[in-house]
Amino acid sequence: MAGSPTESQPHTLQTPPPQGQPQQAPLPLQPQQAYPPPMDILPVRPQKKHVHHSYIWLSLLQAAVATLIGLVFTAVPLLLEEGAIEEVFGGTVPSSGLTVAGIAVVFVVILGVTALIATLSYRNLSYELGEEEFNLYSGIISKKRVHVPYQRIQSVNQKASLIQRLLGVCTVNIDTAGGASNQAITVPYLQNTEAERLRYELFARKQALLSATAGVQTTSGSASAGSPPAPNYLPPSGLPILAAQAAPPARSGLPEQNLLDAPAQVMTELRGVFGNGALDTGAVSFQYGMTNKELFLTGLSNKTGFMLLILSGIATLTSTGAMLFQSALIEVDYERGLNLAAELVSSPAAIGLVVGAVVAALLVLWLISIGSTCLSYGGFKALRRGNRIEVERGLLQHHFNGVDIDRVQSVIIKQSFIRRIFGYCELSLAKIDALAGNSSDQQPSRVIGLVVHPFLKISRVPEILAGLVPEFAGLPTTTRPVAKQALRRAIIRRTILTGGGFWLALVLAAVSLCVALFALPALEAAGAVGATGEWGETRQLIGAGELYGTMALLILAALCLILMVLDVIGAVLWYRGSNYAYNRHFLQVTNGGFSRECVCLPRRKIQYGFTKTNPFQRRARVQTINARTAAGIGGTTVRLLDVQEAEATEWLDWIKPRV
Amino acid sequence: MTELPAHQLNPKITWVWRISDALTITLVFFLCAIPFFCVYAFEGEQWALLVSAVCVACYLLALIIFLAVVPPIRFRRWRYELTSDYLDIARGILWRKRFIIPFIRVQNTDTRQGPVLRAFNLASVTVSTAAGRHEIPGLDTAVAEQLRNRAAELARIAQEDV
Repeated sequence: MAGSPTESQPHTLQTPPPQGQPQQAPLPLQPQQAYPPPMDILPVRPQKKHVHHSYIWLSLLQAAVATLIGLVFTAVPLLLEEGAIEEVFGGTVPSSGLTVAGIAVVFVVILGVTALIATLSYRNLSYELGEEEFNLYSGIISKKRVHVPYQRIQSVNQKASLIQRLLGVCTVNIDTAGGASNQAITVPYLQNTEAERLRYELFARKQALLSATAGVQTTSGSASAGSPPAPNYLPPSGLPILAAQAAPPARSGLPEQNLLDAPAQVMTELRGVFGNGALDTGAVSFQYGMTNKELFLTGLSNKTGFMLLILSGIATLTSTGAMLFQSALIEVDYERGLNLAAELVSSPAAIGLVVGAVVAALLVLWLISIGSTCLSYGGFKALRRGNRIEVERGLLQHHFNGVDIDRVQSVIIKQSFIRRIFGYCELSLAKIDALAGNSSDQQPSRVIGLVVHPFLKISRVPEILAGLVPEFAGLPTTTRPVAKQALRRAIIRRTILTGGGFWLALVLAAVSLCVALFALPALEAAGAVGATGEWGETRQLIGAGELYGTMALLILAALCLILMVLDVIGAVLWYRGSNYAYNRHFLQVTNGGFSRECVCLPRRKIQYGFTKTNPFQRRARVQTINARTAAGIGGTTVRLLDVQEAEATEWLDWIKPRV
Repeated sequence: MTELPAHQLNPKITWVWRISDALTITLVFFLCAIPFFCVYAFEGEQWALLVSAVCVACYLLALIIFLAVVPPIRFRRWRYELTSDYLDIARGILWRKRFIIPFIRVQNTDTRQGPVLRAFNLASVTVSTAAGRHEIPGLDTAVAEQLRNRAAELARIAQEDV
């Protein structure tokens, strides 16, 4: 901590002299230019700040709507019942009025209690930017105080629902590394300007502290090769509040625009009712958006859409299958006369209608999902501001993510099968994630990392990376393939051990064997016993059943075959597409297959590395290489199977720190 | 690099493994077998006796494997080495793993001593990084303390932020 006076000055300037420590020398009082103190240096004591008052009445509004819905649902049946009673007796039963009054009283009481609680928790909810840590105070009866040392901050994210957006407030999440569950700290209902200021302050103070500590070591190792000039958290000189349109940031290249950017821009510039002016939080060095095509393709390729497509495909397949069976049945049942035939002839049309309706419904759902994805990526913007990478998106619900370049664990280029067909990829940055702290978004979705572009042409990746994360310049270029033996092993592994087709075939064979051995003889016997009157009919039924069975069996067998062929193709693709590369500063691992994922991670983000072998691998003289980083929740392992033994040991040597 | 790390654990660790494994296996055995045995004892069901007999057989088999067969192999496979800037661990019987843990990534180190370990005058050293921890289980208490101190000293150069 004890840097030279100039190094530690911004830190000591904004704070009263430490109580216990002896003061070394009277510090010069002129402000240092390299790291100017954060903005609010005027209050010497850190000041507790409250969140915006919409916290009270927005939660009140939410509670009101919720209780209203609940009450309507309970009250309407009650009232209807009473109405019925009224009608039966034909008289004037005053109870319905009473019920209404009771409901009103309940409503008011609930609202009153909510208002009280909201007010009290609002009074007790405050945050403070301390000397070395951020504090969040909360709790009405049992007081809670959360400390976040600035150095532990991983990323600062903002989120706003539509209502919040219209009002110009947002929820701020501060992700930290540490703790068992990496719980995020949530500061709800901050005015937009306050949120921006808070974000700025947090990053600036973190940077100041880090540079104070790293100052002694002359910023050793904290910047990798080709890093941009040292962090420049320049405070807005003079007026901290600037008009939103002041000084458009320098854009490199053409800014991509899409249909939804304009409304998003309007939404952003409106800043809501309480938003206040935009805060200039630093110069933007690189910025990009999404084109119409990219946005649309993002919507098109999202997972739910794909699943719906598959579902509709299955629906059509089964329908045609069913129709085929029906026609087959008609041929079999020639004996049974007109009656049955007429029934069967009419049914394919009905089936077709039903299937058509299902497919149409799925199509509509798919369109909706495309639309919602487009909306959620509307106004997408990723930019580099000083040392931070900021991504914002969302037309209705607004998301903002800010992460410091120091905290980026790796760059991930992911190509799902669809993206691969088009020659596109998803670009994301892995960081240490935190579980969302508030209960409102407890979805089990594990969004790992920060998507900096959801649908990017693969040829544009270097350009985007050079602009957004110039620290990742100088990635290794000469890749090493996996071992030759890996192909054989991959085919065995994918088609047999983890191959769906193989196991399905196995189950199928077992089931059909059981049927042939036990069920069919029993049926035959039953047919023979019950042969007295309707011999022909029973035989027919059994024949139809057998026909059904064999056809189903054939279709399933074909499915197994297709799956197994796909597995083999996948294995070959994996073998062709998987490789790894490393140089002085970076490791790059690509795992291929139908989809492809390439992870680039700086060497200094690798926590530890290990190789792993099972007996078969040892016989084939290959090893699995694993690099572990702190990304995600509790760490992530980057893995490549079946690397040549000698190469793997060489790689493990590379993990060792250099002398 | 193909050669294994230099140091082995204290041979007494095999007895620690035996004792703790025996305790675990016995616990699991009782949890599995007692309900069936009760069914047999109170209801007189023959099949329950059969199931408990199978449990006993499994128990004995597990005991033989984990008391006689596994510990010496595990001991032979478990090796570690502390160089000036990284920790090298090789372990595993079927799935063999080789770890390289640079000290600049180690966030903290500590020694631990459970009751079984203490009975044998052993201790374990744990080395934690931001993405997981590693334990060197059976070391002489003095060696463990020495190792921990050295690891802590080496880890002092670690960067706090990840």
